[in-house]
Amino acid sequence: MSATERSGDAPGHTADDVADLIPMVRRIVYSRVGSHPSAEDLVQETLTRVLSAASTVEPGMLEPYAIVTARNVVSSLWRDIDRKNRNQHRLVDLSAPEPPEKQVVLEEEQSAMAAALARLDERERRALLDHEVDGADTHALAARHGTTAGAVAAQLNRTRARLRVEYLLAIEHVDPPTDRCRPVLIALSSGDQRRQREVQAAQHLLECEPCARLSQPLLERGQQRNDCLRIPVSSDADIVSARRAARELATRLAFGATDLTVIATAVSEVCRNIVRFAGSGEVVVELLEAPTRGIQIVARDGGPGITDVDRALGDGFSTYGGLGLGLPGVRRLMDEFAIASEPGHGTTVTMTKWEGTDHERPT
Amino acid sequence: MNGGPALVSIMRQGSTLIASVHTALNDSELVRFEHDLVDQIGEHRSRGVIIDVAALDVIDSFAALTLRRIADMARLRGAQTVLVGIQPEVAFTMVRLGMGTGAVPTALDLEEGLALLAEQGSHHPRPDEPEA
Amino acid sequence: MEQAPEHDSAQSGPGGHLLSQLVAHLREHRTRLQEEWSQRIQQTHLLTAMTPQEMAAETTSVYDNYVEVLETGNVEALQHYAKDLSERIIPRGVETHEVVGIVLLLRDVLARSLFEKYQRDFSMLNEVLDAYEPAANRIANTVAVSFVDERERVIRQQQDAIRELSTPVLPVRERLLILPIIGVLDSERARQLTEQLLSGIRKHRAKVVVIDITGSPDVDESVANHLVQTVDASRLMGASVIITGLSPKIAQTLVTIGVDLSKMNTIGDLQGGLEEAERLLGYTVTRKEVSTSS
Ligand SMILES: [Zn+2]
Repeated sequence: MSATERSGDAPGHTADDVADLIPMVRRIVYSRVGSHPSAEDLVQETLTRVLSAASTVEPGMLEPYAIVTARNVVSSLWRDIDRKNRNQHRLVDLSAPEPPEKQVVLEEEQSAMAAALARLDERERRALLDHEVDGADTHALAARHGTTAGAVAAQLNRTRARLRVEYLLAIEHVDPPTDRCRPVLIALSSGDQRRQREVQAAQHLLECEPCARLSQPLLERGQQRNDCLRIPVSSDADIVSARRAARELATRLAFGATDLTVIATAVSEVCRNIVRFAGSGEVVVELLEAPTRGIQIVARDGGPGITDVDRALGDGFSTYGGLGLGLPGVRRLMDEFAIASEPGHGTTVTMTKWEGTDHERPT
Repeated sequence: MNGGPALVSIMRQGSTLIASVHTALNDSELVRFEHDLVDQIGEHRSRGVIIDVAALDVIDSFAALTLRRIADMARLRGAQTVLVGIQPEVAFTMVRLGMGTGAVPTALDLEEGLALLAEQGSHHPRPDEPEA
Repeated sequence: MEQAPEHDSAQSGPGGHLLSQLVAHLREHRTRLQEEWSQRIQQTHLLTAMTPQEMAAETTSVYDNYVEVLETGNVEALQHYAKDLSERIIPRGVETHEVVGIVLLLRDVLARSLFEKYQRDFSMLNEVLDAYEPAANRIANTVAVSFVDERERVIRQQQDAIRELSTPVLPVRERLLILPIIGVLDSERARQLTEQLLSGIRKHRAKVVVIDITGSPDVDESVANHLVQTVDASRLMGASVIITGLSPKIAQTLVTIGVDLSKMNTIGDLQGGLEEAERLLGYTVTRKEVSTSS
């Protein structure tokens, strides 16, 4: 069982969860291929794939995920190998957890990529290529387009989501059968669950075979990337974008209205510290699966740092505008709060809110 | 910056100014709002000010302090401020954060805010009444 | 759907034709296949909460719905049935894996019968399975999604009910809410209490709230803190809070965490609290009349 041990550190599903699926996977495979000599290999292959994706599969979805995977693994044996297999291979490449955005953009087959790029509008295409190929950072792009770095990053994410969809359609030679297909695929590709609900993505996947087929690599990618948001912060407007983005990400978990407001408010406070004291920095918002579900926010800057952290965390410490409530207040809002600061080298605040708990700090 | 939908509107009703925030404001916009409102209080010699913040989904330390400062400046100009429309989650988060509204009175909504100003005798809500 | 290329998709023309052949096969052998399926369900100890009669009735319905989806490609009827079934069996403790399990068993029983039927014609078998499997997976997905949705709905409903029971916000008269706290108040309940009270203030346009903690013998520091924060938050929403039934022990805890009791409106018992509330509300009314008539 070395394969199962490998995923012992998967945050979402444990190796035991996957082990529990073995009888079911075996049943699916054997009912299809009977006593074919490669049956056990197919079982192992399915389990390996499920394991490698286990950390990104949503709770409760591991079973359906395993079913679909088993089915795909089996069908790859049945089907003609030639074109199907070649594309299957590409799809797997595309969905492998390792390659980051850039590789997807730069390495995939050129003609499909060209076709996909052609379907973006001129502005989107320009921004994406400037960023991915010419290496322009979000600040530079923001300056060029008269907007903020946060807005550029969000736009780039949407463009990438569209590009992935167009690429898959092009390389699979699929002409979407309905006009709901593209919106659904893009919502899946971006991992935006609210949008997925709006376009009734789950329903559409049940009804539309091409989308069901194309959605698997998109889903794996989407979940991989979109549990985590990186937001550059350098202006007043970025503070608002950052707290909105954090709130939106947090709505994927079962946070109540108060917790969502608490999270948005805490993000607002730490972002303001970045803008006021360091000029610019970034906030990384990430959904956690372990030890329980929650949201973690890391705010970093390369600013002057805080000389006396303990004092900064005491109520009444005032650094700007007679305020002095920022950090101690934030510490009261969140379940976990840590600050690391080195004078001259910047400050990192790490804070977490767990779902469905209220570890209130005594004041 | 102008030209989009208004972020804030300031209406005059008799000797009361009613300022409604329509959307989330960033720090610079909050500061501009503060200046606009305080200017108008002086200009119209208002006796009462109602700030409706129902549209704010976050009132963090900066927003809370700005609102308090507006109320302080208004008082120096002879006007009483009432803050209305704080949402339940926002109210609780403000308290947890350690930010109240200080001495600024609050009311549930615009209607209650007007009633509160009337009660405190610093205001006559009917627009046909002569200004003090 | 005529332009289907050689080996491209299982969904195109020939697939449709195969499906109707398949449906005929499944209709023809309905009794035998359903029997086989029921046996597999029993062997795997699924749905043990159901009687054999219930089981027979449900398996018949699932089987017919299943074949209907294969025939029409329309999952709507199946969705309705799955939702209805879930509604009936969730209160009896049936778990997701059981429901998904029986549908997968059916899928496998049917797949096996297809193996048997076409085992001598391997390429035909491939085509039949290519047509069958996407449809079968779609059905399994539909049932699973319906069940999980329904289960979540039921759980939410139960949670709401429990929450309302444990912290009732009572509108006694216009603009006045009473919040009797009974039993031990832990952090989680305190949090729910706050959310309910604050949204109750908005909903009932309350001006005065009486929190009666006679029924709560003791609270720890964190809950006491929460209580104070709730009072402050209520004020931000324009409501005054009166606390009644404060035991000496809780009063001590409040003082320990630095609460200035003189700034809290505390009254000995609920009766006194209600009188004070009426006074506050009445006072408001009188003053209003004075000021508008002047
Ligand atoms: Zn589609």
